[in-house]
Amino acid sequence: MIRMVVKRLLIGVFVMWGAASLIFLIVRAAPGDPASVLLGPDADREQIRQLHATLGLDRPLHEQYVTYLGDVLRLDFGESHRLGRPAMDAVLERFPATLELTLTATTVAVVAGLLLGLLAGARPGGRTDRVVSAVTIALQSFPTFWVGIMGVLLFALTLRLLPSSGVGTPQHMVLPALTMALPFIAIVARLARSSVTETMREPYVVTARSKGLTEPQILLGHALRNSLVPVVTIVGLQMGALLGGAVIVENVFAWPGLGSLVVDAVANRDYAVVQGVTLLIAGAVTVLNLVADLLCAQLDPRIRMEAAA
Amino acid sequence: MNDSSERRTGRFTGLAAALAGVAVLAACSTTTSGGDTEGAGGGGTGELTAAGTYPIESLDPHGAQGASTGTQFAGQALFSRLVKPAPDGTLTGDLAESWEPNADVTAWTFTLRDGVTFSDGSPLTAEDVVASFDRMMELNGPNAGNFPEATMTAASDTEVVLTTPAPDASIPGKLVLFYVLPSGIAADDTAFFNDPVGSGPFTVDGFTPGETLELAPNPDYFGDTPATDRVVVRNIPELSARLTALRTGEVDVVWGIPDDQLGVLEGDDGLTVETVPSTAEFTMWFNSSVPALEDAAVRRALWQAVDFATIIEQLYPETGEPATAPVTPVVLGHAPQEPVAFDPEAARAALEDAGFDFSQTLRLQFANAEFRPFLQAVASDLEEIGVRVEPLEKEQAVFTEDLLALNWDINFQQLATPTFDAASNLGRLYTCDAARTGYCNPELDDLLARAGGSADEAERTDLYGQASEIIWNDAVGMYPMTVSIAYAWNADLEGFTPDPSGLPDFSTVTDGGS
Repeated sequence: MIRMVVKRLLIGVFVMWGAASLIFLIVRAAPGDPASVLLGPDADREQIRQLHATLGLDRPLHEQYVTYLGDVLRLDFGESHRLGRPAMDAVLERFPATLELTLTATTVAVVAGLLLGLLAGARPGGRTDRVVSAVTIALQSFPTFWVGIMGVLLFALTLRLLPSSGVGTPQHMVLPALTMALPFIAIVARLARSSVTETMREPYVVTARSKGLTEPQILLGHALRNSLVPVVTIVGLQMGALLGGAVIVENVFAWPGLGSLVVDAVANRDYAVVQGVTLLIAGAVTVLNLVADLLCAQLDPRIRMEAAA
Repeated sequence: MNDSSERRTGRFTGLAAALAGVAVLAACSTTTSGGDTEGAGGGGTGELTAAGTYPIESLDPHGAQGASTGTQFAGQALFSRLVKPAPDGTLTGDLAESWEPNADVTAWTFTLRDGVTFSDGSPLTAEDVVASFDRMMELNGPNAGNFPEATMTAASDTEVVLTTPAPDASIPGKLVLFYVLPSGIAADDTAFFNDPVGSGPFTVDGFTPGETLELAPNPDYFGDTPATDRVVVRNIPELSARLTALRTGEVDVVWGIPDDQLGVLEGDDGLTVETVPSTAEFTMWFNSSVPALEDAAVRRALWQAVDFATIIEQLYPETGEPATAPVTPVVLGHAPQEPVAFDPEAARAALEDAGFDFSQTLRLQFANAEFRPFLQAVASDLEEIGVRVEPLEKEQAVFTEDLLALNWDINFQQLATPTFDAASNLGRLYTCDAARTGYCNPELDDLLARAGGSADEAERTDLYGQASEIIWNDAVGMYPMTVSIAYAWNADLEGFTPDPSGLPDFSTVTDGGS
């Protein structure tokens, strides 16, 4: 197990280096000059030249890269000249909001998805299964922004039950979290259903039935645990996607997470903030995947044995 | 269906009902009154919530964000200026009681009002004004560019003198972007702005960059203390979300509303909707340095070929008016010009006479998707006379870089004049040295220099009028439309005045929100 963790951590370091290098190159390859956009159209050429020097953009690219990697190793992610503060300070200030939204959406998705998957998989082809299948297909088909806007129109504008945007109370969380969770619920439900269906055909389930266990006991005691392995794997992957993809939901609901920060940073060519956000999300995804792997190993002894071998 | 299946269906239905119940229960306790992010309602408390069109990322008016609308908005709420614009565009004293230039307009003396204190109770002196000016120049942010090689000194405790290397009559106008902080704030002191000390009508009650700015009245303010107990300025990036929040009562004031949304808001009895003429104008420069557009006859013919009146009527019925000069009527130096009449036949004939190459495609660059329909309509009209125009929507960063490099044939901007003085528009952008449009005319340079150096307002207006005539007749650009800013606010709000710069002053509100 320790060997597996060490191996995964080494891969994680490689992934972080790759992410750091790629984002360094991508932001600089994008057209547009950070100094021009920072100073605005009123700036003269001398002001732009001075700001280039201040930002270190007048140096050769390889020199900038070496300095940047050295700084990242010392956990110095640079200064956002636009915001007038260290880039990572701005990023970390916004990260909790994104994390809170992502974790809430994930929790809702996993609980609801597993319940629906268990109910549907318990009797494949039954009425519940057909209803769940139809609902999950619908949930996956609706674009996130559309669901968000419809939710606002219905629950905020028409029924006046929920706030339309912002933060401050648990009610503010309902619409954005559900908007993010709905397609995720469908993914988890379909995965759990397929896993439960397969498990329910296993010989040991027949044995369990013949020993007099009730359906709920079989479902919760056997099918649930076995269906968790693929679910945990997909949750690990999907949470990374949610973290990175929260931009649209955060914009629709004015949720003060990383979304608007990174959109503004990209538009303003704020290299330090774009790099900071990318590295933070890359780190979070790496950790989440490691946690998912460890959980899978905990749930399935075969994975532990493979790791040990 | 057998029994077990029925039971499972029943469980599923029960689960769905439970989830829905939880959501509804959670929701039922929510109040969505304006001016309240805690759900307790703002009714009658004098709280006000606003959602502007811009985020407030920094409170430092001297730094890199100093020229951004968000920081300017915060600046006028928290700090004082020597002078500030009145709603009609004229300059009024803020910290300065009076101001006057020397004979050759190279030095301006500002006399400060007595008894002004900062929000911590300490007196505001000439030393603070000078230190603030030095700090702005040291940080070399966008606003410092308005004062090249200028210096400020304190002539006494109540007098400061701003000296410039060349005559500059627009100094008072340029100073509307200059805010006074207590002396001793280092250029890199970001901690100060977590809880800044100022002499404006408000103090900071809470600030999360890019999210919310919460303001409380400054009891030490030298003017009338704001009647509103608390102002919350929220960043809601999406227009539809801003308008929804206004209609649900979550916010009290919204501005920068496009024409196609005004009808719905005007039909809401609980809202007041008004538009106010601004300093912004649709400005479509021609790149006079490219061979195709170096002839003024060609540029003028292109202008003549576009039916701007109809386009404006269709797309901007409430926030657009045909422009009459290169700067808007609220700007000092505005002088109405002869309208350019729409005449596609005459335009085509003029282009043929000038030997215009109809096989080329002109690159029309712009930076904001909201202008796409307008520019597509312009391109369509030009297509009618055989001129091909390709609208190129660029990211702001790319747009600005290409703008300065003259990498375009026609450039579209909604150009504002925040100083309300033509010097910072015509005087800055149309000289040969500015090299902004590829157009160079020594006669125009001379007029602009004389206008910039004259302290006589009537003479300045006359000189800018002559300059405008050259710019207009030589079609340095097309000047189709002046822009009004549309505001909508809770009808219960009293004392609110829409601001022509999009920087509303909430210190004048006498009664709070919903």
